Amino acid sequence: MAWKDLVIERRSKETLNALLFFSLALLFVFQFALGPDRERLASVLPGLLWLGFILSGVLGLGRAFLVERENDCWEALLLTPGDKSAIYLGKLVSSLALMAVVEALVLGLFVVFFDVDFAPALPGLALVIGLGTVGIAAVGTLFAAMTAQVRARELLFPVLLLPVLVPVLLGTVEATEALLLREPLAAVSHWLKLLVAADVVYLTVGLLTFDVILEG
Amino acid sequence: MMPDHWGFVAAAYAVTAIILGGYWRMLVRKERELATLGTGTRVRTEAGVGTDPTSRTRQPSETGHPRPEPGSRPPLP
Amino acid sequence: MTTLLGWLAGLGLAAGLAMGFGVAPREVTQGNVQRIMYVHVPAVWVAYLAFTVGLVASIAYLARRRPGVDRLAHAACEVGTVFLGVNIVTGAIWGKPTWGTWWTWDARLTSVAVVFVMFLAYLLLRGAIEDRERGARYAAVLGIVAALNIPLVHFSVYWWRTLHQPPSLLKPGASTIPPVILTALLVNFVALALLGAYFVARRARVLAAEEEALA
Repeated sequence: MAWKDLVIERRSKETLNALLFFSLALLFVFQFALGPDRERLASVLPGLLWLGFILSGVLGLGRAFLVERENDCWEALLLTPGDKSAIYLGKLVSSLALMAVVEALVLGLFVVFFDVDFAPALPGLALVIGLGTVGIAAVGTLFAAMTAQVRARELLFPVLLLPVLVPVLLGTVEATEALLLREPLAAVSHWLKLLVAADVVYLTVGLLTFDVILEG
Repeated sequence: MMPDHWGFVAAAYAVTAIILGGYWRMLVRKERELATLGTGTRVRTEAGVGTDPTSRTRQPSETGHPRPEPGSRPPLP
Repeated sequence: MTTLLGWLAGLGLAAGLAMGFGVAPREVTQGNVQRIMYVHVPAVWVAYLAFTVGLVASIAYLARRRPGVDRLAHAACEVGTVFLGVNIVTGAIWGKPTWGTWWTWDARLTSVAVVFVMFLAYLLLRGAIEDRERGARYAAVLGIVAALNIPLVHFSVYWWRTLHQPPSLLKPGASTIPPVILTALLVNFVALALLGAYFVARRARVLAAEEEALA
């Protein structure tokens, strides 16, 4: 699985580059849409950050099975002997790695362009970002496999994913906002518990049902 | 004390009736369509058996779901 | 059986209307506009009951792969969505005179709207997959994810709305509802639940007939 992982990552350089440019473009859009008002920007910053993460995630995850689809490897995937949830984990880990790189870069861009100081909140922030990303990737990988062979997949995938991710979006944005206001981690413990619960649910369902998706 | 807004109450119950009634009407209409469709094809296949050179013997589907025939599927509503 | 359900539902609806308009008193703070609650609240209870049936049926389908169980899951999720639609629209109509606006992002309306969109996506998925068997499998997985997500949606939205309040508030404080109003709510719930069951039965029948017609 680790081997498959690395191969996927090397191949996904094109996805990585595309996502980085997308994040940059998104940043500009945010700036222009919200105008030069610093206060307004500061107040919506957590939301913008997670909008950036989630939109990049939707784009990147939507392509999670693109390679298999385009190279006619889909049937090979279906015929893989053994527990197919290993494929789920492999895809999940590679997606996580991809998203982590993009997120780190987005954070950097925010520091540069919006003059934000993440440093004091960084440990807590890393935890929130980690939990949120796992949730996004867990459902995203499952739904990506589901929509891979469907007619209107580019439309159906975000339509399926975004409503389901509302709790993750709310939890991460609220927690990020609190942390950026220098509140202690304990103040957002209920959000953290929600994110953990969500991650557990999504991962469990993903692991248990991925076999079913890859039946054909 | 708040005014009674009976208009809104009526509107709410009316909209509910429209939504639920409309759904019920849709079900009735579909059942009727499928009933006539069913009898139509049954008549057709009775006439066509043995004379249709492209007819294949149908094997029972493993999963119990009927296999969709290409081209004979009515568009999904 | 289905026809019996239909008649029982009809009786129930009559009883529910009688309770809601005849028996239940004029509410103290809101006035008679509160009577919208007698359809608005039971509708969401029926919807969530339907989604629970959908959840169980989806799991059962993945376990045994019986097409009848899949049709039940499909019908239940669809009927649940319809009743959620009723809840949302009646909620807006109730909100206009009481809050002054058709929509507010309060906890209940928002979380119901999110669940509504989730199951609309479920119906979209059903429509997008042509192969019946694959559609059944995929929809079952989505149905499970969506149903399990409902409590997560509710908690996250509720905490989002009650900003900066101590997180020990897991539920809104139990308000004391006068028994007669509670009874009216329950009668209407049973009535709508019977109607919902009737719809599910008929919808499943239509689905079976659709599959027959293709055979």
